[in-house]
Amino acid sequence: MKIWLTLIAFSLSVGLAQESGCISCHIELDEDLDDHEKIVDNYLGGVHAKNNLDCSDCHGGDPEAFDDEDEAMWDAESFRSDLTKIDQLEMCGSCHSNPNVMKQYTASIKTDQVDQYETSHHGIALENGNEKAATCTDCHGVHGILEIDHPKAPVYPFNIPITCSNCHSDESYMAHTDLPTDQYKKYESSVHGIALFENEDVGAPTCNDCHGNHGAAPPDIVHVKDICGTCHINNQDLFQTSHLQSMLLSEGFGQCEACHGNHDIAKPNDDMLDWSEGALCYDCHADGGNAKDMSNHFYSVITNLNSDIELATSMVHDAENKGMIVDELLFDLEEAHKVLIHTRTNIHSFNIDFVDSNAIAGFEAAQAAVTGAQQSLDEFDFRRKGLFYFSLIITFTVIVLGLKIKVMK
Amino acid sequence: MKSLYNWLNNRIDMDGAIAFAQKKRVPVFYGTVWYYLGGISLFLFAIQLVTGILLVLYYQPGADTAYESVKFIVSKVEFGWLIRETHSWSANLFVFFVFIHMFTVFFAKAYRKPRELTWITGMILFVLALAFGFSGYLLPWNELAYFATKVGSDIAGAVPVVGEFLLRVLRAGDEVTGATLTRFYGIHIAILPGIFTIILGIHLFLVQIQGMSVPPEIEKLPEEKRRTIPFFPDFVLRDFMAWLIVLNVIALLAVFFPWELGPKADALAPAPAGIRPEWYFMFMFQTLKLIPAHVWFMEGELFGILFFTIGGLIWFFVPFLDKKAHMGIRSTFWTWFGIGLVIYIIVLTIWGYMV
Amino acid sequence: MGQPSRRTFLDWLFRGGLSAWVISVTYPIVRYIIPPDVPEIDMSSIEAGLLSDFPIGGSKIIRLGRTPVLVFRKINGDFRAMEATCTHLDCTVQFKKEDERVWCACHNGYYDSDGKNISGPPPRPLGRFDVIVQQDKVIVKKPDLA
Repeated sequence: MKIWLTLIAFSLSVGLAQESGCISCHIELDEDLDDHEKIVDNYLGGVHAKNNLDCSDCHGGDPEAFDDEDEAMWDAESFRSDLTKIDQLEMCGSCHSNPNVMKQYTASIKTDQVDQYETSHHGIALENGNEKAATCTDCHGVHGILEIDHPKAPVYPFNIPITCSNCHSDESYMAHTDLPTDQYKKYESSVHGIALFENEDVGAPTCNDCHGNHGAAPPDIVHVKDICGTCHINNQDLFQTSHLQSMLLSEGFGQCEACHGNHDIAKPNDDMLDWSEGALCYDCHADGGNAKDMSNHFYSVITNLNSDIELATSMVHDAENKGMIVDELLFDLEEAHKVLIHTRTNIHSFNIDFVDSNAIAGFEAAQAAVTGAQQSLDEFDFRRKGLFYFSLIITFTVIVLGLKIKVMK
Repeated sequence: MKSLYNWLNNRIDMDGAIAFAQKKRVPVFYGTVWYYLGGISLFLFAIQLVTGILLVLYYQPGADTAYESVKFIVSKVEFGWLIRETHSWSANLFVFFVFIHMFTVFFAKAYRKPRELTWITGMILFVLALAFGFSGYLLPWNELAYFATKVGSDIAGAVPVVGEFLLRVLRAGDEVTGATLTRFYGIHIAILPGIFTIILGIHLFLVQIQGMSVPPEIEKLPEEKRRTIPFFPDFVLRDFMAWLIVLNVIALLAVFFPWELGPKADALAPAPAGIRPEWYFMFMFQTLKLIPAHVWFMEGELFGILFFTIGGLIWFFVPFLDKKAHMGIRSTFWTWFGIGLVIYIIVLTIWGYMV
Repeated sequence: MGQPSRRTFLDWLFRGGLSAWVISVTYPIVRYIIPPDVPEIDMSSIEAGLLSDFPIGGSKIIRLGRTPVLVFRKINGDFRAMEATCTHLDCTVQFKKEDERVWCACHNGYYDSDGKNISGPPPRPLGRFDVIVQQDKVIVKKPDLA
């Protein structure tokens, strides 16, 4: 292993214009200094090594001094063995905030990370002297930093919740703040967490999709709808036009969040509208009134459509199981189901007429599927009846033929 | 009616044909029932011709259209389902009755002199029937058929020396593709029916001029003890009765046990579980599965092919191998050979469906 | 009743049965031969409508076999056709003529007018179909597999 690493290091060092005097020593230092072999290994797999950046580009020192330890490190003015968090920002920013440097590597790369960071809660905390606040390396890793779209990068979508939870789920680490530490646990079982972890949907929102990344901060209540609306655009559009938005804001509720929660957003189900304790509207509108009527109305539209679709589906499947071809009915079912999904979205308008008028197409499609399935089932009966009469004719003819043969003898 | 008959009679001697049919007599004994099997097979072949021609009216070969057109036939064309179900069921019954016909002929030693050629033509018809089944199975271009054809044609590739060539000729390329479908279509609706009709003509001609065979022990009976009935109309009417019953059975099967079309063939999809050949190939398929990878110096598959080739040739030439039959003696060896073969086919077929 | 008349009666019944049987066999065959009203669908292409059905920026969702296909006309008059099923969670997409993009309302995913996924959750581009304009007919065709 070591030999190979040395060889790689050597060949790389040739490639690095003979700058890697650091590696040739540090790779041998495992006995005295823990993990140096691993550090070198990590570094070699990272994006910085690939772009010919050497240890000294971050740690300073003189790599050309090779065996002379003092000259290479301790005597060199630029040498830094450990970097403070503030140092890190400055050091990473010295390249990453400089468009002239960065565009040499990736022409379209962003260079606003440090600026954004300074607006984040992490950045503000650090500025206020909180050394626990996360900086660049806490999220991106240290020596073996990978490109952000590398599946093994800590900031790749699947890995982000784990990366954030390294600090945010650690009760003792977070003790100095009043922030909760159950976000990861909640997220994991939420509709978004399931989409990300179980369905492996890279498009599913993870921590940074709501909180931002370099500018990480909780969204304020006025803008919750915009954040959710990044993906749930129809819900946002409808909600914005409803009377409910201003009401929630005036009461200090976080709009979408008021009903759906935040980290533990559950997959919505129709029973959330069923007027009883635990139903979404009931919590605030326990006194009934308009809210009760509306909730009941929405509930009945959705459950009626749903049961129509269920009836149609079972009839279509019945016909299918009887060997009938029902391809076209499946399209009707799909259409009805699509309208059902739209209806569930449409209730965010909190407008009964709007919801009703848009649900009609779904009822029609479900009805078309029922009619079609009934035709198929009728056809099935027709086949059996036809067979019955056909068998009758044949049986009759065979009997007569039998008699005829008997008489012929 | 009468004048039409006279018109025909003046030209093609209808009287003579009827006189021949009336003079021709069919022996009556315990085995008379076996005489219907050939007729039933013939009737099923006729159904295949009629329904096959009807299917051709709508069927479109080609990887893009075959499956869709079959779906169109069974869902959009009136009674299309009936035509397709009848074609599939009748095909299966055809092979089934041909099997039984063949074995009853074998056990009755009806292949003995002077009917060797009837047996040989019958064997050719049997092989052609299997080829009909194999080529027709692919035509709906559904998943199961696709993979069954792939596996089935793979076996051809294991034949020594010419295997590669055979496989390519059969598949019209290295893989089962739309080109294979076109080829199978041509084989199924043009080549096989053509050859089949010629051989069937010879087979029926031989049966007509030689009359029905009876087992050796019946043949030895004195003339007065051998009962017969006229071929026409007595036997023909009985034949017709059997046909009506078979047709009714097909209609029952078509309505109550329709053949599923299943999903469309997709060359890139993983092979679905439970790929099986049609039941009449099952005993061979199962045998090939049971043969170890290497037998003596050859590969298992090659051994299997050799086994079936030799077995098939013996069966084919049994009229020339069974010397005793010509002398009117039932050979115990060949009877047991036949019984063994029947047991082998039944056991292996059941085995194939159990695993 | 004498023997001959019984025989005639049976013959009469037999002819009746036989005729019924012939009719019961012929009827389905004749009905089968009459082509159905629905023209046979050539599954590799389908008529999406007339040219006049597609004004500039107009769009339509049609079915080609079992696949829903979105057909639309760009501002420059070109036609495009692509799968109408979003590659994210199978919602049906729509053409937004204002910005010439294809949009999935479910999670705000965007594709460009060539079907490439450009923003939001969609992980893959939409599969493309060919559009051929023949006289005044707009025909959508499965792309040839080269």
